[in-house]
Amino acid sequence: MSRRVLIIDDEEDIREVAALSLETVAGWDVLVAASGAAGIIKARESHPDAILLDVMMPGMDGPTTFRELRSLPETANIPVILLTAKVQAADQKRFSDLGVVKVMFKPFDPLVLAQEIAATLGWQEI
Amino acid sequence: MTEDAAAKIAARLSELWRTSRPTVLERLNLLRSACDSLAQNPADEEARATGREAAHKLSGVLGVFGLPQGSEIAASAEHRLMSPEPLTADDLSGLRERIADLDAVIASKPEG
Repeated sequence: MSRRVLIIDDEEDIREVAALSLETVAGWDVLVAASGAAGIIKARESHPDAILLDVMMPGMDGPTTFRELRSLPETANIPVILLTAKVQAADQKRFSDLGVVKVMFKPFDPLVLAQEIAATLGWQEI
Repeated sequence: MTEDAAAKIAARLSELWRTSRPTVLERLNLLRSACDSLAQNPADEEARATGREAAHKLSGVLGVFGLPQGSEIAASAEHRLMSPEPLTADDLSGLRERIADLDAVIASKPEG
């Protein structure tokens, strides 16, 4: 089954490597956005099966973007995985308490990123 | 994952590293400049924020390109810049060591 995943990250190299991983390893369709605001628009338009969302972005950061996604009927139920560089335990708990499916850490391994996302979301096709 | 997929990812990562490496070096220079500014004024919040952000981004990206030790070193530099207290001479010395270590790690992976 083909899945569609939206990657929201302000860093181009991270977007490219994550997209490469998900497309090549899992064969998923990947959409990308370089900011929280652009990601919300893309999520509303394309209804992805999941969103990989960076925490630290200029302007609208990851947690703010997540809350906005949750407030919109058309995106409220899309599972969101937060992606962040390693943080202290208190920050990790704060992110988890937002209601995201999981907090994943950069740097990720491009060879296993897709499997980790699939396992998190219960997608068994890869 | 198939061997073909792994080879494709490795080849593309090599290409991406070629285009990302200048940005990585730019971030390292930002961290170095921040460290120099903090040596002049340990309470310089703007320099601290710039250095912290540069270290954070380096921490996130270096491991993706097969340099996990670089991510660890950058995370350590970021951690040193997170304290609200003005940096001590020891803190600055530690930061300079990490910047030198990051220089060496990045130099170990040429453009390819």
